[in-house]
This record gives sequence, structure tokens and C-alpha cells, in this order.
Amino acid sequence: MVRFENVGMRYGEGREVLRDVTFTLDPGSFTFLTGPSGAGKSTLLKLIYLAEAPSGGSISMFGVDLAKTGRPNFPALRRRIGVVFQDFRLFDHLSAFDNVAMPLRIAGRDAVSYRRDVEELLSWVGLADRLTALPATLSGGEQQRIAIARAVVARPDLLLADEPTGNVDPDMGQRLIRLFEELNKLGTTVLIATHDRSLIESARAREMRLVGGRLVALGSPAA
Amino acid sequence: MKPRALIMPRDKGAGSLDVVIAVMAFLASLALGAMLIAERAAATWQSGLAGRLTVQVLPPENSAIPLQAQIEAALRVLRGTSGIAHAAIVPEQETLDLVKPWLGSDTMVRELPLPRLLDATVAPGAEVDLPKLRQRLSAAAPDSLLDDHGRWLDRLRGLTRGIIWSAYGVLALIALATAATVSFATRAGLEAHKEIVELLHQMGAHSTFIARAFEWHYFLAALVAGAIGAALAACLYLLGSGLELAGIEAVPFLPPLTLHATELGWLLMVPVAASWIALLTARLSILRVLSRIY
Ligand SMILES: Nc1ncnc2c1ncn2[C@@H]1O[C@H](COP(=O)(O)OP(=O)(O)OP(=O)(O)O)[C@@H](O)[C@H]1O
Ligand SMILES: [Mg+2]
Repeated sequence: MVRFENVGMRYGEGREVLRDVTFTLDPGSFTFLTGPSGAGKSTLLKLIYLAEAPSGGSISMFGVDLAKTGRPNFPALRRRIGVVFQDFRLFDHLSAFDNVAMPLRIAGRDAVSYRRDVEELLSWVGLADRLTALPATLSGGEQQRIAIARAVVARPDLLLADEPTGNVDPDMGQRLIRLFEELNKLGTTVLIATHDRSLIESARAREMRLVGGRLVALGSPAA
Repeated sequence: MKPRALIMPRDKGAGSLDVVIAVMAFLASLALGAMLIAERAAATWQSGLAGRLTVQVLPPENSAIPLQAQIEAALRVLRGTSGIAHAAIVPEQETLDLVKPWLGSDTMVRELPLPRLLDATVAPGAEVDLPKLRQRLSAAAPDSLLDDHGRWLDRLRGLTRGIIWSAYGVLALIALATAATVSFATRAGLEAHKEIVELLHQMGAHSTFIARAFEWHYFLAALVAGAIGAALAACLYLLGSGLELAGIEAVPFLPPLTLHATELGWLLMVPVAASWIALLTARLSILRVLSRIY
């Protein structure tokens, strides 16, 4: 699904943020990415969701080597990835419904065919009555659920979430983790960056730990 | 619920840029109109004078042939020249009328040795061999002078050419400034939506999908602003023709500052050009933004 080989990364001429990172995410796996602040977790996710290019090493996604396939094929790869950004990045001027529908519009689905899917998903995350609400009128937790619904609506093969419980109370955090586990059972590969220990301990998943830009541990499901 | 919400948010605060586009479109329309008027005036002046010949017969000095005989001989020569459609003697009274403002109409004036005039019209499209005509005229009427208005026409042509080229120059400059304004306004508008562009890109949207979501908006905005500017200019020119109908001439001799219906039609080009410039700028800016991100 995702394969990093000796990947290095630096922003511009800055120092190396990631060094010699090698790992594989198997299809259907559920993984936590942990590490202290500034360790490079967000940077690693950006490399996976094709927001940044590595400065060394090689990355292959869904079995294709990024360096070989070239940029023209990236949009198609990006559409197979759902991302929950740490700051949500919702479309401020679009309703909850239109935010969640966007990946389907991008995929070329027509409005009639996706309407039901979007409404179902929004009621699944408990927002059935907020379809027309603009993000600014929603609470942080509600916005987060919209961001998650948008990340999963197109049934991505890979789901990436950056600190998805950063801004919510522990109960909401647990509920969201259950949501990701449900998706994972349906076949989506999940990678979650977090430093929320309680979250990691509550889910039985592999842990990858980054310290100072290096992977230090490839833990197996917590025993 | 609407089936499709606009991907691009309604611009707030972009109004001032639309005003700038409208003003530039207004100026461009004025310059375009001025050029059309200059071109029409030049054509009118030239067709009024070109193709006309005048022969003056002075009271005999160089020969013993009497004035009246010389006039008739000159008329015969003119009428016998190929390419001349029409030739006639200007009645003496008209000649007197011509000098009246300067010399008055005393009987004394009648005693003055005034030259007599002959008017000739060249058939449209025909060429008259002027040196040969001049030769034959001086043989038949030694005291005659042929005037083909050539010098006057040349200067007039030079003048109108000058006017037209400067109008072209002004128009080109304003078109350039308008294009720059439209493209600046479009880029400034897009800058405010950079996040949306990047987010759509991140979600796997193709460049064409993203460009389409934005460019149409700028196309319409520039079309509307350009149309308002051009309409204002058209109103001004219509006002000019209103004055003309009322018998008020802005500047004597100069052509009236009005546009004909077909010429007003040319003003439509201004908003159309503005909107396409906006659309292309929007597309190029988006593609450039996208090409810079991974
Ligand atoms: N766009 C950028 N340009 C330059 N340097 C950056 C950029 N983004 C991150 N960095 C640097 O890269 C390093 C790793 O940042 P990153 O955001 O990946 O850490 P993180 O593990 O996600 O931290 P946190 O837990 O605080 O979110 C940091 O030193 C940061 O300053
Ligand atoms: Mg981070």
C-alpha cells in the first residue's frame, strides 16, 4: 500500500527533517504514528498524501513508484487517499453537505447520484440535522466530524489523520477512534499521527515512533 | 437544496477592482470611438476633395486670346480629356460671391480683373494624366492654371494619417493597460482563494477542474464591468449625436463626435476582450499556482 525506502526530507535548504526512513504499510493495516512534537510526523504524512516531494530515497504508493510514475498521475493517486487535516481545512463558504460532497464532485459523480450517500454519511457521524450549516456556525467537534466524513466519503483505500483528536475531549476522541476502526474493518488502510497515549492504548494497533526524524520503533499491536 | 454549490466563494471587496475594469473599459471605448471617427472623417475629407480639378483662367496677359475664348478653349480641353466625367464653368456671379467677404460687392470690384474658374470632376476610379492635361491647357489657354488640390490633399492625408496613427497608439496603450488591469484584478482575486485551489489540488482534482471552477467567475465579472464601461462610453457618443441633431456643432469643420450604429457595434469588442483576458489570466494563474506545488 505504502512503501518508504531510505526516505530523507528537508524543506528547502533547511536541515533534514526526516532521515533514512524505511517502512511498509500493508493493505488493511491500522497504524499509529507517534513521537514528540517536531519529530516529523506531519512531514511524513505530507509525503504520503503527495503534498511534498522527498529529497531522498524512494516512495511507492499503491504499488507504483512515485519518481517513475510522474506528476500527471498524482491526481488519480490523491483521490485514493482520504486526509483528515489537523486544522480540518474545510471550505468555509460551503455547507456541511457540500464540503462532504466535494470528493465525489471531484471524482466526477453527478449530484443526483451522490446526494443519498452524503446524507447517510453525515447522519452516521451525527450531523443529519446540520446539512446546510456553514463550518463557522459549527462547534470544533462538529467540524472535525465533517472533516472525517469528507475524508471517507469516497471510500479511500488509504486514510490519513493528523492529530484527529487534538481539539476534542477524551470521550469524543474515543468515538472517533471507533469510527476509524469501523472503516478499517471495511478494508481501508489507516494511519493516524498522534501523541495522545490514551488513544494509542485504547486501540490495538501497530505503532511507528519517530524521534528527531528517525523511525525508532516498529511496534506490533500492543500486547 | 441546490444540487451544486459554487466552488468559488462570492468575492467580497473585489468591487473596487471591478470599478477599475469598468473605468479602463470606458477609456478604451472612448479611444476606440475616437479612432473610428478619425478614420471616417479622413475618408470623408478625401472623397470630398479627391477627384476634383479646378482650372483658373486669369485675365489675358501672356497672349492676345481674349478671356472668354480662353475659358471656352479650356472647357473643351477638359471635356475632351479621358477620365473627366464632368466639367463646367463656374458662373461669374459665384466667383464674385467667393470674394465678397474680402472685397465687398462694389461696382468697383466688377472692374477688377478677377480670374474665372472651371470645375471638373474625375470619374470614380479613373486616372487623369495631369502633366499632359496641363500641357494641353496651356496650349489652348495660355493664361490658365490647373489646380488638382494635390498639395492640399497630401497635407490633409498626412494630417489624418497622423490622427489615425496616434489614435491607434492611444488605443493600443489603453488596451494594454486594460489587459494589465484585468489580469491584475483576476490574479488579486485568485490570491484570496489560494487555499481553496490548494485544497482542491490536494483532494485530487485535476487542474482543468480547478481552473473551470474559477475562470468562469472572472470571465463574467470582467464581462459585466467591461460592458458597463463600454455602455457609458456609448452613452457619451449618443449624447454627441443628440447635440448634432439639435443643431449644435461641437467644433466647426471637425466631424461630429458621434458614432454610427455599426461603429457602436465595435464597442462590444471591449467587454468581450476584457472577459477573455480575465478568463485566460485566471486559467494561467491557476495553472501556474498548481505547477509550483507538488
Ligand atoms: N513548511 C515547512 N518549512 C520548513 N520547515 C518545516 C515546515 N514544516 C515543518 N517544518 C519543520 O520540520 C520539523 C518537523 O515538523 P513536523 O510538522 O513534521 O513535526 P510534527 O512531528 O508533526 O510535530 P507536532 O507534533 O508538533 O505536530 C520541525 O522542525 C518543523 O520546524
Ligand atoms: Mg504535526
